[in-house]
Order: sequence, then structure tokens, then C-alpha cells
Amino acid sequence: MSDRPSRVPLAVLLVLASIGVSALQRTAPSTDAPARAVAAAEAFLATLDQGQRLKANMDLNEKTRTVWSNLPTGIVMQVGATERNGLKLGDMTPAQERAALALVAATLSRDGFQKAMAIVDADQVLETRSAPDRQASSRIRFGRAEYYVGILGKPSTTDPWMMQFGGHHLAINVTLAGREHVLTPTHTGAQPARYTVDGRTIRPLGDENDKAFALINALTADQQKQAILGYDVRNLVLGPGTDGKMIAPEGVRATTFTSAQRAMLVDLVREWVDMLGDEAAAAKMKEIQTGLADTYFAWAGATTNGKGAYFRIQGPTVLIEYAPQGATDANTDHIHTIYRDPTNDYATRATRR
Amino acid sequence: MSKVFAAAIVFVLVMPATTAAHRLDEYLQAARVSLGRDRITLEVDLTPGANIASAVVALLDRDGDRTISPLEAEAYGRAVLADLMLELDDRPVAMALTRVETPTIDEMLDGLGTLQLRAVGKVETVGAGRRQLYFRNNHQPAASVYMVNALVPEDGDIGVVVQTRDPRQQLVRIEYRVGPQWPLQLLWLALGAAVVSTPIVLRRAGLSRPPELARAFGRKVAQAFRPAFNP
Repeated sequence: MSDRPSRVPLAVLLVLASIGVSALQRTAPSTDAPARAVAAAEAFLATLDQGQRLKANMDLNEKTRTVWSNLPTGIVMQVGATERNGLKLGDMTPAQERAALALVAATLSRDGFQKAMAIVDADQVLETRSAPDRQASSRIRFGRAEYYVGILGKPSTTDPWMMQFGGHHLAINVTLAGREHVLTPTHTGAQPARYTVDGRTIRPLGDENDKAFALINALTADQQKQAILGYDVRNLVLGPGTDGKMIAPEGVRATTFTSAQRAMLVDLVREWVDMLGDEAAAAKMKEIQTGLADTYFAWAGATTNGKGAYFRIQGPTVLIEYAPQGATDANTDHIHTIYRDPTNDYATRATRR
Repeated sequence: MSKVFAAAIVFVLVMPATTAAHRLDEYLQAARVSLGRDRITLEVDLTPGANIASAVVALLDRDGDRTISPLEAEAYGRAVLADLMLELDDRPVAMALTRVETPTIDEMLDGLGTLQLRAVGKVETVGAGRRQLYFRNNHQPAASVYMVNALVPEDGDIGVVVQTRDPRQQLVRIEYRVGPQWPLQLLWLALGAAVVSTPIVLRRAGLSRPPELARAFGRKVAQAFRPAFNP
């Protein structure tokens, strides 16, 4: 599909995407999650020719798994790679693309898949807006065609393998090790952070934003004083290219929270964790709640929803950052987020066993 | 160099923005500080926005050949390093450049290229106690936005206590504690174990009085050396 017209009307594209998403969700069987993911991976690989298969499926090792980024196609990634793992949607036939997205859907929850596709659609909006002004020589490309689906390792219900789905502002890294499915590290982002389709407003990261503002405003003045960092934060601290690093925690400790405030914090964390299916998400939430006493919530920027603000949630097994790009008070239309587990990125606990 | 940069900033700030994505008129400089027992390691990622990238490129590409040579990259890395101030317990820390990686000029002009600078400074190893690191980034303050964070130390006996920054994150004071080194700890543990276990061993051997102990020790020594004396 590399010869697909680049100026397909946006509305048509987004409607088709929505239909595709709905169809995928209707057809997804509710069987055993690892088996369903393996079946979807094998079905996708079966649609590819030999050359495509070699590109879509590669070894899983400590180097290949780190090849992901927030950056658009055409920019060297933070880890030095020039291209993402896998095959991009723009180089697939419609049938291959359906199979590829069915694989993505099989490794995520319904909400997780919808969020990922809303981010892809936002980037299509960005492509439509920016393409007319872009210099012909520019290698930068945005849009749906520039999202890659990759399989690292051999799909298996017992041995570790990985599904990567990524492009500008999206890096879904799901490591599947038997029944343990791990989503960290994963990057989500959005630009624009708000767009309309047929009069309907889409905000890919809107719930993350709104729940965080609700939480900061539910804190007491004393708690806010501890939570608000008092300095400006213009980007993610531990974004792409910082695997294996962890910062010293700051902000207010959740031990000071009431049960209602804790519930709000947990609900906010779920925006990332629940991108995985029920079983994996429940296991992860249990782990995060166990460490809630050692979890910190930090904030930088205004506390009035509608303005930009950075926030961070950091506990023994979780790090989440949400960072508007540019001046935090002003910029609400370009967001980066990161979700990490300092103890288990890429399911290292399971793969070490 | 700063005058060239400032003039270029003024010029580009009046230009219309041409790139749709990402920061435009900011030079984002994100520093991460790693605290060790005998060294401070520094990572600085520098990302010029599209509208000011040409000014940074002018500082990097000194011969104007549209490529950044390793020597040009190193020279710029040293210039950045010279603008950073690090003090440990009020004493300057001399930082040595260990790595500079640069993106292509086109990537920088698009506002999406990040220079990665790494440096290390050796510091005098001291015993357990509290230490304070002061860091200030003075590189191109007119157009820059800063970030600075202490990483969780790899040495589990070092812990960050508090980080105090200015509102721009141009400077930070990191207070941290250093625990005693393992060899010293082990020595104390061994001594403690010996003190605690000696009476127990003696009681089990039925030796509760020092003369008995001395006699038993003598007998053991004699037995040990008997073969040598009576071949």
C-alpha cells in the first residue's frame, strides 16, 4: 500500500479507521489471552510474503527491544536507530493491515486499542495540517501510514516474545511471557490533543488530563504544597532512550492521602495500566496498590483544568509522567507521556527466571 | 560565541514558524546527575527548537560544510561543559567529557535533533555522611529551558535526601547521604559476630574457665605439631 494516495480526505480515513476498530473488537474472541495473541501474530505473519516477514519478525534481545521512540519517521531515534522495528502500515495491503491491527488489538484491552488508534488518528490530522508547508526535501513524515507493527521473538504461549506498535507519539511495547503480559515501557502522546471527527471531539489523552486535574484539586492545601514542585517541567524526564534509569522521587507521598484521594490516584494510574487486558491489568494494579504507601504524586504548572500541567506518579513498581510540550501553562495541544516499571520493564523479571 | 547566538536568536524569533511539530523557540537542556562514591556522572541532552536551531548549528558547524565532524562535536561539547558549574561540598568538580553524539543538521533544523553529552568528574572518596552537590547550567540562558534531576544512585548505600531547584531548573542543590563502605561494615560485623559467638562456643566445648581454655589450646597446639616433632 505504499502507492496509496497521500491526501485521502481525513474524515473518510478516520471513519474507515473507526469501522475497522469496531470490526476488530467484535471479532476478537474472548479466549485465553496468550493463545489469542499468538494466534493473531501467526495470522498476521501468514499474510506476509517472505521479505515482509523478515522485516516484521526479528529476534528479541536487549538491543532490539529498545528500538522505539516518540519521534516521527525520518528522525534518528534516541537509541540511534534510524527506523522502527517491523513493517509500517503504509507498506501493507488492506488485508495485511487488518491482520496487523488485529494483532495489536489482541495484545491490548478494548480501551487500550481505542486509545492507540486515537493517537494514530491525531497524527493523521497533524499530517494533513503540516504537509502543505513542509519542504519537499524533508524526510519527516507523520500520519497513519507511518505506524509500524513488529513481532520480536517467536510468538509463544510459554516463552517470551514482544509486540511493538509505534510511530510518532506512540510506542506500545507489550512483552508476553506466558500468562504475564507487560506493557512497560510504553509511550503515548498526542498532537493535536483535541480534534473533531464528524462534529465529535476526540481527546486521546483527555481522561488522563482530567483525572489528574481532579486529583490535584482534591488535595488539601498542605498536600498541594508538597505535591507542587515549584519549578517548570517542559518535557518527560525519563522519556524514550532512558531505559534502566530512575530518578529520585519527589512530591507528596500517598500515605498522606485519604481513601477517596487514593481511589482517585489509582483511577488515574489505570489510564495507563488498563491499556492491557483484564488479567494482566489486574495483576499490575494489585502490585501498584501494594506499593501505594511508597508512591509519590508530583505536579508542575497551573491547577486549573484547561491549562497545561506536568505530573508524575512514582512508586516502587511504576513511573508515569505526563508532560505538555513547551510552556506548561500555555500548551495543552501537544502531550508526551511515559509509563515505566523500574523493576520489570520488558518483563525482565519473567525473562530472568 | 554568545553574541553570535544572541544575534541569531533575535533573527529567528521574528521569522514565522514553519514546522508544525514540537518546540520552536526554546533550547531544551535536560541534565541527569548520577551520584557515586568517588565520581559524579553527568548526562545532558540538548534539543534546540526549530526556530533557533540554525543558531546552534552555527556554533557546531564551524567550517560551514553542512556536516558536524567529531572534532566540531567535541569542541561544542567542551564549550557546553565549560558553561556548567558543579561543586561538591563547596569545592569545584572538574568534569571531563566522555561522549558527544550529535544529530544531523537537518534533524536539528526540524527541531527534532538532540545532542547527547556525557561527562564524568572524579571526587575525593569520603566516609559516611551527608554531602551536597551544587549544579548550575549557564549554557545559552537567553533562549534555554532547563531540566535537572538526580538519578537513583546505583550504589544502594547512597541516597538522595532532597533536591532544591530554582523555578527554571537552571540550578539545583542535591543533598545526599553516603553510607559506610562495605569493607568497613564487614569488619564491624565480623567483630560483632566474634564477640557474640565466643561465649557460646566455649560453653559448648565445656570450657567455661580461662585456665581450661589455655590448657586445651596448648593440647591442641601440641597435637597439631606432634607429627613434625616425631616423624
